[in-house]
Amino acid sequence: MSGTKPERSPQLSLLAQERRFALLLFVPALLVLLLTTTVPLVYLGWNSLHKLDLSMPWLSGFTGLGNYAKMGSDPRFWNSLVLTGIYTGTTVVLQVVIGLSLALLVLQIPKGQGILRVAAILPIVLAPVVVGLFWRTLVLAPDFGLVDLVTRSLGLGSHNWLGDPQLALLSVIAIHTWQWTPFAFLVLLATLATLPPDVYEAARLDRAGAWQRFWHITLPLIRPAVVMVVILRMMTALSAFAAIFAATGGGPGSATEILNLYAYRTSFTELNLGYGASLAMVLLSITLAISYLMFRLRRVRA
Amino acid sequence: MTGKNPARSVALAAVAGIGLAVWVFPVIWGLLTSFKTERDVLAYPPVWFFKPTLDNYKEVLFGASSIVPNLWSSLVVSTLATFFTMLFAVPAAYALARLKYPGKRASGFYVLATQMLPPVGLIIPYYLALQKIGGLDTYSGLTLIYLTFSLPFAIWLMVSYFEDLPFEMEEAALLDRAGRLRALWYVILPQVRGGIAVTTIFVFLNAWNEFMFAVVLGGNRVRPVTVAMFNFISVEQTQWAKVAAGAMLAMLPVILIGIFAQRHIVKGLTVGAVKGGGRR
Repeated sequence: MSGTKPERSPQLSLLAQERRFALLLFVPALLVLLLTTTVPLVYLGWNSLHKLDLSMPWLSGFTGLGNYAKMGSDPRFWNSLVLTGIYTGTTVVLQVVIGLSLALLVLQIPKGQGILRVAAILPIVLAPVVVGLFWRTLVLAPDFGLVDLVTRSLGLGSHNWLGDPQLALLSVIAIHTWQWTPFAFLVLLATLATLPPDVYEAARLDRAGAWQRFWHITLPLIRPAVVMVVILRMMTALSAFAAIFAATGGGPGSATEILNLYAYRTSFTELNLGYGASLAMVLLSITLAISYLMFRLRRVRA
Repeated sequence: MTGKNPARSVALAAVAGIGLAVWVFPVIWGLLTSFKTERDVLAYPPVWFFKPTLDNYKEVLFGASSIVPNLWSSLVVSTLATFFTMLFAVPAAYALARLKYPGKRASGFYVLATQMLPPVGLIIPYYLALQKIGGLDTYSGLTLIYLTFSLPFAIWLMVSYFEDLPFEMEEAALLDRAGRLRALWYVILPQVRGGIAVTTIFVFLNAWNEFMFAVVLGGNRVRPVTVAMFNFISVEQTQWAKVAAGAMLAMLPVILIGIFAQRHIVKGLTVGAVKGGGRR
């Protein structure tokens, strides 16, 4: 190289040059992220320490941890917390179990995998709000919905799938599972397809049963992918909104009001933004704590 | 491999068929509904054969509460959000994937953490801030908040594509005494064209489908089509066939993209998840 300063260790200057270039490329995105996510979150935290009710603006002011103290005696908050746990737990387990089982089955089908992949894409690309509306009308509506048609013809009678408090929770869980199971299915199918076939041959010679093969060979091999699916699916479930909003609006009453919906309704239906902000802070803490734990878990065991 | 037991193959195919039907059916049913009269929608038992009508589409496109302006809103805000996302994400992803710089690990985790943020935590401060500066119901306000979910996602997806490239490529470009920026532009970026296309599609889809930010920060002027789904729903009467027609029109682009870019979408979903599983 015939640069201007050939004597000074070229290695070092190349490294410094790389560093400068990297920062030039990364810093703009970093600034955008700081400005659009971190600064607003600080503002959220600050607002959660205030009484800020747009329907009673004259009462606004600093209240310290008042909003958080209020949660202790707010049954609707505890209800939303329980519902969040049920909703997230059941939808994630259902998605992974159904998705994985289906992927294991489909892997053994010689033909037609392509069609299934296309079909699986369909729910994923639809807007959740449209999914919620579709299910509300076409599938779950009493009297003319498809599910109602099935239960009636089976002699189980007509039910108000979204109007009955207990059925409503089941229904929104079903909707969420319907939309996102294809994600688990596709990711796990792709992972399974990359596994080396010789491990199975060895196991077969060992006369390992199908279940043993799955438990001792397949599952450990796809474990990182399963954990990744669980993390991503949990995040989606914790911040599920549009489909529930479209199907039940969080109701009847607060039967399907997970924490995310409660924070939204408090802020934008009841216009109590201060309390809404503190609820959002709780959801934020839960989300970050869970993702931190999951990443730790993955690093330790993987 | 499994040819020895025909009964088993049939059972397998049956299970797969049910899976297929369950995923596709609501969409097909929605399509049928969009061609029904409002009377036929409410018929019991549901009618499979009916005289199809285009009235719903006419109403949804040219009627009093036409969704055409809403489709336009969605197009503008999704395009803006996608453009700015890619503008910032591609260089950042390249740095994160291929270059050494101080604080790289921490910055990677920071990007990952921002991807985990619940939207409701962002919508409240955005609402309060935009309200103060008159930014509600504007394209810039909505575009800005769309960056919060699309930028971290796009960065990580692009990282996975950059990591697939062989290192020799950059070395060759550098020995060539091409500047680093020129090397990135003329040598590296053409190699990740596919990744850029897939990421662009994903970002656009997510922006197009977004609802919560749109319903709070939008208004009469900027009203994306996901919000306009509710044009035909009111307390007195809901016109379900119109809702179905509107939904079909709104979802037509994403369904088409989904079907034609199917292979790439699967790759996009899996690249992040599968590779992310092995790393870090």
